[in-house]
Amino acid sequence: MATDSQSPRAGTKQLGSQADLYAPASPILELRSVSCAYEPTRPAVRDISFSAREGEILCLLGPSGCGKTTILRAIAGFEPVRSGEIFLSNRLVSSSSGTIPTEERRIGMVFQEYALFPHLRAADNIAFGLGHLARPERERRIQEMLQLTGLEGLDRRYPHELSGGQQQRVALARALVQNPVVLLLDEPFSNLDPDMAGRMRLDLLALLRRMKTTAVLVTHDHDEAFAMADRIAVLNHGVLEQLDKPEVIYHLPATPFVADFVGQADFVTGRIQHGLAHTELGEFPNTLGSAEGTSVVVMIRPDDVHLIPNTSAEPRIVARQFRGSENLYAVRLGSGQIIHSSARSTSVYSEETAVEVRIAATHTVLFPADLISPQTGGDTDSPASRAGTGPG
Amino acid sequence: MTTTRPHASGSLQLVSLASAALILLPLGYVTALALSADLAVWQRLWATRIPELLLNTLSLAGTVSLLTLVLGISTAWLITRYEFPGRRVWEIALVLPLAMPTYVLAYVFNYLLGFGGPVEQLWQSVAGPHARIFSPQSLWGATVVMALDTFPFVYLLTRSALLSMNVSFEEAARTCGLSRARTMFRVTLPLLRPSIAAGTALVILYVVSDFGAVSLLRYQTLTYAVYQQMTGRSDNTAASILSILLVALALAFLLTERWFRHKSRFYQTTGRYRISQRMSCDGLTTSWITAYLAAVVGASFGIPASLLIHWSLSPEAQAILDARFFGFVWNSAVLSTLAATAGVTIGLPMAYLASRKPTWLNLGCLQAAYAGYVLPGPVAALAVLVLVLNLTPFMYGTAIVLVIAYVLHFLPVGLQSLEPALQQITPNLEEAARTLGVGVRDTWRRVTLPLIRNGFIAAWVLMFLQTMKELPATLLLRPVGFDTLAVRVWLEASEEYYQLAAPSALLIVLVGLPALALLLSRDWRAA
Repeated sequence: MATDSQSPRAGTKQLGSQADLYAPASPILELRSVSCAYEPTRPAVRDISFSAREGEILCLLGPSGCGKTTILRAIAGFEPVRSGEIFLSNRLVSSSSGTIPTEERRIGMVFQEYALFPHLRAADNIAFGLGHLARPERERRIQEMLQLTGLEGLDRRYPHELSGGQQQRVALARALVQNPVVLLLDEPFSNLDPDMAGRMRLDLLALLRRMKTTAVLVTHDHDEAFAMADRIAVLNHGVLEQLDKPEVIYHLPATPFVADFVGQADFVTGRIQHGLAHTELGEFPNTLGSAEGTSVVVMIRPDDVHLIPNTSAEPRIVARQFRGSENLYAVRLGSGQIIHSSARSTSVYSEETAVEVRIAATHTVLFPADLISPQTGGDTDSPASRAGTGPG
Repeated sequence: MTTTRPHASGSLQLVSLASAALILLPLGYVTALALSADLAVWQRLWATRIPELLLNTLSLAGTVSLLTLVLGISTAWLITRYEFPGRRVWEIALVLPLAMPTYVLAYVFNYLLGFGGPVEQLWQSVAGPHARIFSPQSLWGATVVMALDTFPFVYLLTRSALLSMNVSFEEAARTCGLSRARTMFRVTLPLLRPSIAAGTALVILYVVSDFGAVSLLRYQTLTYAVYQQMTGRSDNTAASILSILLVALALAFLLTERWFRHKSRFYQTTGRYRISQRMSCDGLTTSWITAYLAAVVGASFGIPASLLIHWSLSPEAQAILDARFFGFVWNSAVLSTLAATAGVTIGLPMAYLASRKPTWLNLGCLQAAYAGYVLPGPVAALAVLVLVLNLTPFMYGTAIVLVIAYVLHFLPVGLQSLEPALQQITPNLEEAARTLGVGVRDTWRRVTLPLIRNGFIAAWVLMFLQTMKELPATLLLRPVGFDTLAVRVWLEASEEYYQLAAPSALLIVLVGLPALALLLSRDWRAA
């Protein structure tokens, strides 16, 4: 199922060579076949392998309970690994035989609820891990961090006197001031309101780029992952489903789960005939190389579907959802299957309009038909369609 | 309908105001008495008694709080951070000392640490026949007794702070490069500071207002001196001056406790957090921990309780279990019932008005009711005595005076159960009943009362049990020949009739256990 569990860089092969240009021989962070012990309270992860290059922002994306936080905590050294190894800067830090304590790993971490020390002022929170430095040097670093994170003038405040966004920036400053080998962020935007989260995302991205920080970010929000990540690792039930650049994850998902989780997707059934996949929406190239006569499904994204009103056509519009910048139409095909189409917000068709459906896809994604369960088969309650209604 | 509402709440208002007056009036009389005293009396007291009493009181408070800090924090740490066989049993056993009134523990330790007592014999068998230990009737004796009795306050507050602490704080410290040990000193203990401070302030408040232990151990503190002025010298003026000093001292520590408790709210994480995982122990660690906890619980509860049982079964004790003894039980029960009933009757309107109509006046009445907190037993007795002598001298020497003093003293205990019970039910429920066409009185009967029933019962039981073991006010105000269990324990123990005091003491401890269970069920957070 997982296309990437064997080789950490397999994903970049199909994508093109641009990412390989700055790939050094040794990655900053490397996980080799990591599995974490199962406890009833925490999701297990199995056989996870990936690596992060210097300055790269890697996103662990998946639904809650998929094990993404467990992986992050294993990297931090809070979670023992049952098998496999974790390397930080080529140093073995976690294996089944032993764990190097967190404080010796040189990692920075931004906790989901920030975990700012309530008994210390903002500046003292930031200075917390700098005890080994001389006072002037410490002061200089704090001032620099305050400036970088836009916290000037707030250094004397206690955590409860700061807003959510300010608290997050203090947490970030506290982690970054130590020049960590890798920065770990656990759902850093989940406690902020959506507007604030959007702004903080841009600020954080700019800051990480400027400091050339290697970062691993955990999130359940695919928009956040798309906006932030150089590469995304999609996880489900503790297994790595796909690891690749955001564009590839979106356009060429490796599994139906990925297809559905990172955006709205419909799955149209078809059959291989004469080397092509025949569906009621037309023919598609047989990218799977499946044998003649096998059943397949074609993944269709709403933005690849165009509607042309045509009174003699069979498909009918059954619902319209206005989303500001676009209209999302639900269309019932002749077979009764529902597919979705996004159109400009100015083109408004009423329900029951007969439309001709045209597919203009740059990529064709086929899956064997038996991989599609009713759950991922494009019903409106799937996580992706819910996430799809979010901003962006 | 439009006429019932102002009427109903108007009469409630009246009850509430009258109760507040009843509580503040005695206080006012004592203050007036102290302030109107001849300047010479003040000067005499300043020159003779006060420096010594203040020094004694404060040094006892200091030594006790140090010892309770060590005992309370260490036990709370072991219970919350380690997993070992029997942990849950110890977790509860560590609270048991609270069921033991200080005068009971003091009388047992008077025997244990006394001249030729078991501890001294044990010590002599080790250190030679002429070795001596410190006398129980000293600062150190009082310290041991008070600390063993009050360390559960620090234990409970530290324990619940440790249980509700977000482990992310400690993890964040680790990601900043701190080792496990340094994390404890730089993050965990500082985060516990407000809870520990609140617990310590509570301990000091307890020490400052204690009468039972210091009187049996003959250690001169302010509270004991108030009692002596009233009985030995019948000098109410001098007693009132000492009382004012004592109330000021108690108030200072009460405010300290409130302030730290308030501050500790900033230290708690709201929303989602994870608690720390307990470390599992090997056999050796388990036996060390168990030995330590057994020593603490044994000294503070196990050994005293077994001694009480042993003494109660002796022939001397069996001989006094006659009609006279059950007369004392009856006296205690009647007084406690009266006090508890009067307390909830007065407390409920106050708490209700303060939660539903939080006007300045209603909140003020409620705060007045909490005055009992800073009134040590002898001071409460003095206040009521002065009031009765001035206004209604015919009531002097009757049980009514006692009941008034109990209500004044223990109303805060009852309010602490009533207030949260009322706050937990949203006014919407009562308003919903009104929209369904039910009147004010029926709403009370059919909605409010059933919902606050548990808090109401808890308030009654707690006031009943507190009155049951009350000592100084009872000693000072009881009608002639009217003894309660607590008074009997104290009288027999003062004469060192250990066996004769045991049955009454044992009964008081047994009756105290359900009160403890009730108190704990309120904020016992199982992990």
